[in-house]
Amino acid sequence: MEKKPHILLVDDEQDITSNLSAYLNRSGFETSTAGNGEEALQRVAEHAPDLIVLDVLMPIMDGREMLRQLRQSDDWTPVILLTQVGEASERAMALEEGADDYLNKPFDPHELVARMRAVLRRARPGRPPLSAAWVLTSGELRFDRQARRAYLEGQELTLTPKALLLLEYLMTHPDELLSRERLLDVVWGWEYPVGSRAVDTRIAELRRVLSDDAADPIYIETVPSLGYRFISPVETTR
Amino acid sequence: MKRGWFFLLLPAILGLLLKIAFERGWLTNSVAYLRADLGTLALLLGFILTVLLFIIWGIFLWQDRQFIQEFIDYQNTVAEERRQFLRRLDHELKNPLTAIQAGLVNLDSERNEAALQSIRTQTNRLSRLVADLRKLADLETRPIDRAEVDLALVLEEAVAIVQEEPDSADRSINLSLPQAPWPLPKVQGDEDLLLLAQANLLNNAVKFSGPGDRVEVRAFEDSEMVIVEVADTGPGIPEAEVPFVWQELYRGHGARGVPGSGLGLALVRAITERHGGQVTIRSRVNQGTVVTMKLPTGEVTKS
Repeated sequence: MEKKPHILLVDDEQDITSNLSAYLNRSGFETSTAGNGEEALQRVAEHAPDLIVLDVLMPIMDGREMLRQLRQSDDWTPVILLTQVGEASERAMALEEGADDYLNKPFDPHELVARMRAVLRRARPGRPPLSAAWVLTSGELRFDRQARRAYLEGQELTLTPKALLLLEYLMTHPDELLSRERLLDVVWGWEYPVGSRAVDTRIAELRRVLSDDAADPIYIETVPSLGYRFISPVETTR
Repeated sequence: MKRGWFFLLLPAILGLLLKIAFERGWLTNSVAYLRADLGTLALLLGFILTVLLFIIWGIFLWQDRQFIQEFIDYQNTVAEERRQFLRRLDHELKNPLTAIQAGLVNLDSERNEAALQSIRTQTNRLSRLVADLRKLADLETRPIDRAEVDLALVLEEAVAIVQEEPDSADRSINLSLPQAPWPLPKVQGDEDLLLLAQANLLNNAVKFSGPGDRVEVRAFEDSEMVIVEVADTGPGIPEAEVPFVWQELYRGHGARGVPGSGLGLALVRAITERHGGQVTIRSRVNQGTVVTMKLPTGEVTKS
């Protein structure tokens, strides 16, 4: 039997950690919990978890500080940070701090499990996650996240800011089925009926600029009635 | 204002000081005679009066500016306090909601399935409301795109979106866009947000009208502004409720029983204002409602 992934849940609200633990245990995960960043660092030292679900606002040591210390000690255990990455300043910070994914409270526990599975599948033991990489490359496509520019065969691409954000998210989540709602939430920060069209328009823009054929795509695949998937493998340079 | 009084009294104080100086003999107090014909005197008097009036006018202007500045500061404080309140509310609500959602998935009693289902639905509703409030607060502060937007295309798309809704089938929805002498000028801003605002307005027009009602969307240009009107022949809004429709969570009498969060118009207003525009509403009971959105063409003022 395959070993169950071990998840460390870090939140100062005990009702959240206890209820989530019960649900995660039933979903095939082992869990341990911590009430603040300091405790979480101890847990990591005692028993290296496969993934950390980390809240931000906590007493004694908050989530951001804990993550910073973890990464400074060259520990690349995957981390899902429970916060919003909507604003540009936060996005820049997110890149610096090196979390693998973000989820905003309140969330549906099923969504958390879906993200955990995706992050675990994507995780490359001992190496920084794609979401913490400064430069992403996929075939002829290169994304410089510090300069916020994308290049195809060395030529800089002219993209709207939204399309650029969308491409960034797709490239940091390769081979993952991303629903329109999820993309909306991450890139636009809202989910409204009009929103799914906004996603389709930007995907169409990306395909046009990348000369990607929707019927026979190299980069972005449409998953009928579900969403999109970035299918080309992504490499990093940090 | 204190400095203003000082300047007003300055001539009198100077006069008094000189008087004292002459009386005490610090200065030679020789006698001076002034003689002038009536014409010169009139000219002099007129001149002095004009100078006085200018000074008074200046003081008024200065006071006015001060007052306006205080008013703007006050408004900014109120807006900032509101945003802070929304952020705190968001923060205080999201932990309990997360705990409730996590707790709910652990309950699987077959006997209480109906009750559980309704708790789930209501929890989701609350979560959505919290998320929407946060987005609204976000929208007021985060930088927005400043790209050239063709509002004509945005309106066509908004109409297409609303026409997909089942309620739209028995309304007549009309879009009129100018073609002559020239099409609608472009505006600057965030296309997605503008689409969201227009779709919201149209959606309201459909939601708050009945079968057979007319919905008209008109756009035209007027002195550096693009004006969009979304009008319907629905039941209208009572006069007393009109000033409140832009407030978050406000639900008018007629809106009870109609699904919605009470954030749609607040969102529309926030989007319009971020684009340097204005939005107003006129309504008559039993005749209908028209919402007018004015957006500046070309350069958008930084906000």
